[in-house]
Amino acid sequence: MIVVMQPRATAAEIGAVIARVQELGATPHTIHGRERTVVAIVGSTDGLTPELFEAMPGVEKVTTISQPFKLASRESHPDDTVIHLDPRPGLPEVAIGGPAIVIMAGPCSVESRSQLLETAHAVKEAGAVILRGGAFKPRTSPYSFQGLGIKGLEILAEARELYGLYVITEVMTPDAVPVVAEYADILQIGARNMQNFGLLHVVGRIQRPVLLKRGMMSTIQELLMSAEYILAGGNYRVMVCERGIRTFEKLTRNTFDLNAIPIIKQLSHLPVIADPSHATGRWDIVPAMSRAAIAAGADGLIIEVHPRPEEALSDGAQSLKPERFFELVQEVTRVAEALGRPVLGRGGENPTGERNA
Amino acid sequence: MIIIMKATASEDQVNNVIRRVQELGFTPHVSRGVERTIIGVVGDERSLTRSNFEVLDGVERVVRVLQPFKMASREWKQEDTVIHINGVALGGGGLTIIAGPCSVESRSQLLETAHAVKEAGAHMLRGGAYKPRTSPYSFQGLGLKGLEILAEAREIYGLPIVTEIMSPDLVSLVAEYADMLQIGARNMQNFALLHAVGKVQRPVLLKRGMMSTIQELLMSAEYILSNGNMQVALCERGIRTFEQYTRNTTDINAIPALKQLTHLPVVGDPSHGTGKWELVRPVARALVAAGADGLIVEVHPQPEAALSDGAQSLRPENFAQLVREVRAIWEALREMEGAPQP
Repeated sequence: MIVVMQPRATAAEIGAVIARVQELGATPHTIHGRERTVVAIVGSTDGLTPELFEAMPGVEKVTTISQPFKLASRESHPDDTVIHLDPRPGLPEVAIGGPAIVIMAGPCSVESRSQLLETAHAVKEAGAVILRGGAFKPRTSPYSFQGLGIKGLEILAEARELYGLYVITEVMTPDAVPVVAEYADILQIGARNMQNFGLLHVVGRIQRPVLLKRGMMSTIQELLMSAEYILAGGNYRVMVCERGIRTFEKLTRNTFDLNAIPIIKQLSHLPVIADPSHATGRWDIVPAMSRAAIAAGADGLIIEVHPRPEEALSDGAQSLKPERFFELVQEVTRVAEALGRPVLGRGGENPTGERNA
Repeated sequence: MIIIMKATASEDQVNNVIRRVQELGFTPHVSRGVERTIIGVVGDERSLTRSNFEVLDGVERVVRVLQPFKMASREWKQEDTVIHINGVALGGGGLTIIAGPCSVESRSQLLETAHAVKEAGAHMLRGGAYKPRTSPYSFQGLGLKGLEILAEAREIYGLPIVTEIMSPDLVSLVAEYADMLQIGARNMQNFALLHAVGKVQRPVLLKRGMMSTIQELLMSAEYILSNGNMQVALCERGIRTFEQYTRNTTDINAIPALKQLTHLPVVGDPSHGTGKWELVRPVARALVAAGADGLIVEVHPQPEAALSDGAQSLRPENFAQLVREVRAIWEALREMEGAPQP
């Protein structure tokens, strides 16, 4: 249920609604929009009726949210969510989900200091603003390279200092959340952990942006329900990522569900990032599918780049060489500009304002 | 197997190779390029070795095609195939837009739609006269009457026509009216039908089956090509997955994957690929950005009154917006120096 306040509702009137929700045993989430404030009510809502709030001063109307995901739905939050990364000294501001496209790139895994720094330098030159790289790796086989752990996080932080790139890296277990959050600017929840509810609970209780990847066998609704876990915990800076689903087609590692991009933009206000590297599994079609994802309305891309893919310890077949990534950014910029969207870090202004759906 | 002749090979030497292919019981497919002639050898080539032809005068080299689809493969023919459909080119770097209703429902409905899609910038008109419907109780199409209405719309608006053919015995009749024959997704492996359209000289639009792999699609194209009809375009129209929010999952990966594997034009169908009109525009943009040579889009003047596929049909004004958006993307990519290839 959402309580929509009048545009001129006072802080006291809003506070009274929040207090009433709490008295009734439910949980209020206050969303300050451009024109008006909305109080979304989640948790134990059995027995709550619109009449309980309709008569309160400053309340314009009370509506119910028909989707099972409440805070993630566009009904509760009509404006796009724009996620501002926590500022770092010396780094430009980055907003995700606004008009500008954001490009994240880097190796699948942090393999060594020299490999990561070389890649970071190359992706920065090409136009990336966020560096990806796994320190804790969820590998199918227990015998595969499992990542450098804390050492990997330290290397990522060094690359951030040297090249002025924000850092995104995966967190796999609830107990690692505090240490990863100390180093990373965005926490990634991988596809295999999309329904690791213990982990979702924990990242919902910290204040760091989260990139939530769609499980390879999860529906769009299940993805948004997992986002709801994080939002309900109080962390509102969640972006979702389409990274391909499993189908009968084996010519590609996954089938890139680009239908999902406009659907999620309709159903939800959260920024949508596309991962053409995992969605194809083949470096040779990553550029074409990056263009397609932006054309479908994605707010950003996350792309695997490696200076020598043939030597990569993981995901070599889907990693681009730096020079091909450079071309990709130029192609994507063309498509974005044809649709009236700039690419962040590519000469466009740094957007901080909200954008209409 | 492909026999590549030397640039200096004489006509006699070419003819001698052709004769040798026939003597061995195979069918030669000769393509005379600007620089050199290439002779494709069609048939069960397990009994052949490269030396059967390498020893002949004028032969530069002999290549085995590794893919199970031969004539459809890029190994067979490197440059893009361009199909000419009654004055409209499809393939080879252009952007060809086909639009119209799912079904021809009446003369007035079709003419109104044809007028609207022409105004919006479509190059060809689609419309089903014979409809493959899941239920035997659903509207099955107007049949021959529908073909006559389509032909009338072509006369009035100058749009070539693509329409579906469902059975081999109707091929000659539909080919008389249509400029391009469509093989629907449900008939992608109707081999008798593939044989029949392989024997006529009309361009064919072959749709991917909703449960077929990319390789199976190319094997079906091979049926048509190997029967002598070289004018085949492929269409990605969505596959069945566990995601039930959309009617199908548009497999856009298939566009660059096909462009690598085959020289045939590739068309995207965002209407069937999504099943929801609100998603058709963004997915159409994605198909073009991924490198599709064309689009086929369902348009209806009153989708709410459509006898089939109303939920995925665009109103004419939304279709016009789609055309503007996909053109902008196509032009932005074409203008790039060394235009990107997938």
